[in-house]
Amino acid sequence: MSKTVSRRRLRVCLAMVVGVFGVFGVRLFQIQGLDASAYAAKAIEDGTAKSTIPAPRGAILDRNGAELATSVDGLTLTADPKMTAPYAPQIARILSEKLGDRIDYFDTIDKLRTPDSRFVYLVRDVPAWTAKKALKAIAEADMTGVFSEKETLRTYPGGKLAANLVGYVNGAGKGVAGIEQQYDKTLTGTDGASTYEIDPNTGVRIPMADSTVTKMVPGRDVTTTIDRDLQWYADQRLADAVRESSSDWGLAITMDTKTCQIVQMSQAPTFNADDDSGMVDSNTVSRAVQNVYEPGSVMKTITMAALADQGKIASDTPIVVPSGMEIDNFHIGDYWKHGVINLTAAGVIAKSSNLGTIVAAQQMSNSTMYGYFRKFGFGQMSGANLPGESDGILKNGKEWTKANHATISFGQGVSVTALQMVRAVGAIANAGKMCEPSVVSSTRDADGTETKVPAKPSKRVVSKDAAATVTRMMEAVTAPDGTAPAAAIKGYRVAGKTGTAWRVDPATGRYIRGQNTVSFMGFAPADNPRFLTYIVLDKPYSNAGGGSTAAPVFHDIMSMALERFGVAPTGSKSPKVKQTW
Amino acid sequence: MSPQLARTISAPDAPAPRFSTEGAKAAGLRLVRPVRSRARKAPFVVVVLTILSVGLVGLIIMSTILQAQSFEAQKLNSQSAELETQRQLLSREVDKLQSPANVARRAIQYGMVPNTNPAFLRLSDGEVLGKPEAAKPGKTNIRSVTP
Repeated sequence: MSKTVSRRRLRVCLAMVVGVFGVFGVRLFQIQGLDASAYAAKAIEDGTAKSTIPAPRGAILDRNGAELATSVDGLTLTADPKMTAPYAPQIARILSEKLGDRIDYFDTIDKLRTPDSRFVYLVRDVPAWTAKKALKAIAEADMTGVFSEKETLRTYPGGKLAANLVGYVNGAGKGVAGIEQQYDKTLTGTDGASTYEIDPNTGVRIPMADSTVTKMVPGRDVTTTIDRDLQWYADQRLADAVRESSSDWGLAITMDTKTCQIVQMSQAPTFNADDDSGMVDSNTVSRAVQNVYEPGSVMKTITMAALADQGKIASDTPIVVPSGMEIDNFHIGDYWKHGVINLTAAGVIAKSSNLGTIVAAQQMSNSTMYGYFRKFGFGQMSGANLPGESDGILKNGKEWTKANHATISFGQGVSVTALQMVRAVGAIANAGKMCEPSVVSSTRDADGTETKVPAKPSKRVVSKDAAATVTRMMEAVTAPDGTAPAAAIKGYRVAGKTGTAWRVDPATGRYIRGQNTVSFMGFAPADNPRFLTYIVLDKPYSNAGGGSTAAPVFHDIMSMALERFGVAPTGSKSPKVKQTW
Repeated sequence: MSPQLARTISAPDAPAPRFSTEGAKAAGLRLVRPVRSRARKAPFVVVVLTILSVGLVGLIIMSTILQAQSFEAQKLNSQSAELETQRQLLSREVDKLQSPANVARRAIQYGMVPNTNPAFLRLSDGEVLGKPEAAKPGKTNIRSVTP
């Protein structure tokens, strides 16, 4: 009897054991055979952690290495409204105390109380040092539910300094204007990545376990040709001038005529990408390369250079200037009323006579004059390698009417960018050889290895003698009896030219009476030029002229440039040039 | 069968051979007395146990140290991040203080004005180049700093 019982018990036990193992077997088959890859992936996911090592964006530096744009750590603050709702006002108060203007108290309370949500953004891109203070204060007050995400934040230590040249980045950290945009690829590095094994429960990295690392390559620094201190001075001086003359906008550009490096490029009004103020299109547009306007009388220097290169004019060439002209039913006069007067070519430039320039320019055919204007780079980009640059507008010489020929000779009926104008007159300052303006001199990697940006070769546009002739004429402009004695710098020889051009209404394409673009272009020392400065003021009060409004700005900025770069006067005296005959 | 061989075969601690001695003989083999091991087992066990336990303890110590170092590394990482934040804050403050706008604002406070009359002193012969003139706050010069 007992033998039968124990045998049965044995069988039952065996069946149970087989059953249990059977279940194990089925489960094993399911795990290993059917869902193997899914489980393996899950195991790898739980047991490894991935982290991206963001590559810092390169800095933008001035010519002496001072930072114009740089990157710092930033934090974006987020919250879980389910956790923060009970003490939303307290958290909002701490945040507005620590973050100041970056956050609105009432908006933040609403965000912290967002119903049916477990994630809201509170404020983006706050410098890490400020955000950490806020987080610490919240933690100290025993409140939870506010978190942070790491960001890279672009800062501009100079604020408005050279803002239109440096540009700015968008929310995703991509350059969208100026050098930030043009050199975006150079400035952006390659993000690194690392994958390592962790304890799935604690999340702590397992020592000596496998890890893979993709190397992070930081972005390259871009060294500009800008001198920060001169730039600041010009920014400030120009902003004052724009305000005092009630101009719509103003530009000031200074170029080293020997190297064609832009040492200063100011625009007013401008913006501040550091605190996001003034970020409207009319401020963020880079007017030096994107704004086309009619240059007016500054263009007379180009007409004279073309004539001098052909041997058709010298500074004392006598010109009979009529009291007025009718060309194609278009009346042209000078800015001052006169009868028939006898001016020398230098007198025409010194007094800025439109009629005298037309008479002189009539020695050239349409095609010759158009050819020279093209050689001087009009109708073509300046080569400064800045985004959104305009070509300007220079009608083909074959299509010129008589009126076109006449007005283009004194800078109306032709549209330019300021940088084109700087390049063209730069050729006169550089003894007839023209080079392309540059704003970036080199790039530098994280190890400090510099790569120079090669300078493009200069090309001759007019002869050395022609350039010298026009320079002599331009020196008469800053003489006491010229149109811009305010541009003269004591002890130096200064060559210059004023410009007062009618403004074109962009809507109708017609000139607007009483609205002008005034300018002054000049270089010094005239007998051995080192710097060229161009000032443009758009739509100043109605009776402002280039000589009275733009020339004093030129004087101050040019003086500062000469002083900063240690350019001593040559000691020679300006030759006396006859203005009448 | 010789008596000597018979004695060998019937040695008390050898099992009775069941194979044919003829075959062994033909192969040149003969039965020998097994070597009696005189080594004691205890020391061997002690050595093995010692090695095992030293290894185990070593492993535990190493893993503890590594773990501790991993925590330490994590702590140092966050400390370095904290210091980096502080460095950035300080360098920004320095940048702000030495910015041209700040220097100019301070200079104007002290009654200084920018000089727009450049003149130079040539050290080799003491000659003054340019026309030196005292800078004075004029209408056309910077009088205040726009923030």
